Amino acid sequence: MTEQTLKTLDRARAARQWHPVATSDDLRMRHVYHGQILGRELAVWRADDGHVNVWENRCLHRGVRLSIGINDGHELACQYHGWRYANRTAGCTYIPAHPADAPARTICNNTYPATERYGLVWTGEAPEGTAPDAPELQHAGNHLLVLRSLPVNAPLHLTAGHLADYTFYRSDHTRPATQVSTHLRRAGEFQVAVDWTDENGTSALVFFLQPTDNHRTSVHAVLATSKPPDNPLQRLKDHNFAMSLLRDRIEQAARQHPTPAAFTVASPRVSEALATLPKLAATGRKAPLRVVVKSIRDVATEIKAFELISVDTQLPTFQPGAHIDVHLANAQVRQYSLTNAPGQTDRYIIAVKREADGNGGSAFLHQSVRVGDTLAISLPRNNFPLRRDAVNTLLIAGGIGITPLLAMAQTLKSADHPFHLHYFVQDQSHAAFPQLLSTFGTHISMHTGLSPEQTRTTLANTLEGYKPASHVYLCGPAAMLSAARDLAYRMNWPDEAIHFEFFKNTTDVTTDQAFTVELARSGLTLTVESGQTLLHTLRTNGVELPSSCEQGACGTCRVGVLDGEPLHQDVYLSDAEHQRNDCLMTCVSRARSEKLVLDI
Amino acid sequence: MITLYDYELSGNCYKIRLLLSILGIKYHSHTVEFYPAAEHKAPWFRQINPLGQLPVLQDDDYTLCDSQAIMVYLASRYDSGNSWYPRDDPQRLGSVSRWLAFADSITNSASSARLVEGFFYDFDAVACRAEAHRLFRILDEHLWFNAKSGHHWIVTGDSPTIADIACFPYIMLSEEGSISRQDYPAIRRWSDHVKRIPGFTVMPGIFPAGPAQ
Ligand SMILES: N[C@@H](CCC(=O)N[C@@H](CS)C(=O)NCC(=O)O)C(=O)O
Repeated sequence: MTEQTLKTLDRARAARQWHPVATSDDLRMRHVYHGQILGRELAVWRADDGHVNVWENRCLHRGVRLSIGINDGHELACQYHGWRYANRTAGCTYIPAHPADAPARTICNNTYPATERYGLVWTGEAPEGTAPDAPELQHAGNHLLVLRSLPVNAPLHLTAGHLADYTFYRSDHTRPATQVSTHLRRAGEFQVAVDWTDENGTSALVFFLQPTDNHRTSVHAVLATSKPPDNPLQRLKDHNFAMSLLRDRIEQAARQHPTPAAFTVASPRVSEALATLPKLAATGRKAPLRVVVKSIRDVATEIKAFELISVDTQLPTFQPGAHIDVHLANAQVRQYSLTNAPGQTDRYIIAVKREADGNGGSAFLHQSVRVGDTLAISLPRNNFPLRRDAVNTLLIAGGIGITPLLAMAQTLKSADHPFHLHYFVQDQSHAAFPQLLSTFGTHISMHTGLSPEQTRTTLANTLEGYKPASHVYLCGPAAMLSAARDLAYRMNWPDEAIHFEFFKNTTDVTTDQAFTVELARSGLTLTVESGQTLLHTLRTNGVELPSSCEQGACGTCRVGVLDGEPLHQDVYLSDAEHQRNDCLMTCVSRARSEKLVLDI
Repeated sequence: MITLYDYELSGNCYKIRLLLSILGIKYHSHTVEFYPAAEHKAPWFRQINPLGQLPVLQDDDYTLCDSQAIMVYLASRYDSGNSWYPRDDPQRLGSVSRWLAFADSITNSASSARLVEGFFYDFDAVACRAEAHRLFRILDEHLWFNAKSGHHWIVTGDSPTIADIACFPYIMLSEEGSISRQDYPAIRRWSDHVKRIPGFTVMPGIFPAGPAQ
């Protein structure tokens, strides 16, 4: 071995293969494992739902290792500035320096595929096919025992060469240890298998070599025995001892050669500009995602929950408060909040109330949509972002307004942030997701069957005694929401501490007056005719703008106003924001002045 | 009244702050500026500890140096549950002593490498790192097999001992001496458990753990 020059790893080829990075047992709940493949450092963690995440071991912000971060079961949080990333997608869900903003969807860490086989966790940079077979471990009836993996400071090929003549000492309490020599069954580049026969029958040991780096290797080993091992702990110790001795020899041999240079790997970093200024995607009312209705459940009187799963790709990251547009076969587009828990990225769960005076959307979903149907939906969009730095958070929901607040409550609960959810419903049977509600324990108060007067009094009691750094999130029917908002103002809650989301705009919106808009950045001057919306006029003139509800409730089509006085007509902005006259909703806002200058 | 002669960035002083916090003992911290003033070599301090080393503890008129010794004293005197220094169990007590000595070896290797990099000490950093890795391999193996038999702590048993506190700081600060912990998964899992001990506190360079499931 020492005379010949050592074979080196073909990194490009190895990048297309699956490699073990840890044992399944290494990924304990709420732990972040620090792994490495081909020189690339990885943060490997299991979420509470069992999903194994293999990510670039770098926070996109300052490059801090995520392996020292916090696995809260749903998200991984970086220790330095608290950026949080979602299970599965690795999309950034929260940036503490901008607690009031929703991070741009493009802020997403690198993820690598992961699978578990033979008690090991496998990954790769761009692996093809499936994790490799080891025929010795496939025999039905074989008992598998995953041994303690050993990192070796030696190149992979040198390590593999030494494993071919593996011997060990079999100890038991009654006799001195006996040496067991093994027969080499196969010796591949990344796998070496040996076997032997003793009074316990035939055993095979498969070594899997992990190319940690050009000069470092980890040896994982799985023992297959025809009978269950009599004393598994002693077997683990025997092999650990033998492998440790062998490791000393391998490392000694490696010192006879020049150490191959470590691989250099590039890892992505997010620009400071993107990190500090989430930018809006310039899309219209588009529905790029196709989802399948996996289940439909009654979760309260008149309320059905729809579980949506992706047809092909991973669903995008969402944040608490986010909603999606659902495009219905009857040509309507409706907005529904995601009720999901943090990190629950394998499906979206929306809840739909059947409206008696329904305009068709809810009736259609209730009557015509069936399990297995495909729906077109927009990317999740968050105009109702949740701060996670509040000293206390009040969540106040009325009726179906519970949906965005469910996502928020689950987020706050899992992070152990103080919060209280007040839920106003007609009667107990109208309370959606009773099982989930019961998990909030002392963090929830149900208010059932209150008259408008009683509702007002309860709201007043709830909002009494504003304390700095508290935030309140309101969602529910227009009357209750406006009442709660006005009470909060009256009780000295500052504007920026009151967050609300109307699900529809019940004010009378006029389109009577024509007006002129000047687009400061595009250099266009356009006339919005009576009977036309500003949004429509912009789009027909080639200005791409995102929109969602198109009735002044969701905030998606907001643009900045540089000059002129808008006629707002929306329910998204607060009164104070209306008075600032520095932005408007293009779907419903018009002009009080003759002309508006817009920042687009 | 307990006074701790203390320096925020010292892992040995942090051991004592950690145990005091876990046991809920009130104390007064007297800062000795280790760097750059080298106050621990000043005559007034050498009168207290001729070795010129931190930490030193004073409990009324009793004075004691050496972080391991201080923990033995504090646990014996103030831990009413008798679990941190299990005096009634000779075998566990023997094991505690073994790992306290091991912790001092970690100071002499991992901490020394950190002193070279962060405080410009003149030790052989290469040798210190090699020795730290040798010790970490031994501890990782020990913790891996302990965990296989359902034990989370360095000394077998249901609850942690001062041996865990003694080994913890300089393992967690090892990267400040360019000693990676990547190869020691059992040590990393054990450190999650230490961080979840009620009363756990941090020091610069050591982060808290998230909630257990
Ligand atoms: N065995 C002692 C070692 C203490 C020690 O090394 N202290 C460092 C500060 S963390 C020190 O004062 N070093 C200065 C020196 O040894 O001269 C203990 O555990 O307390």
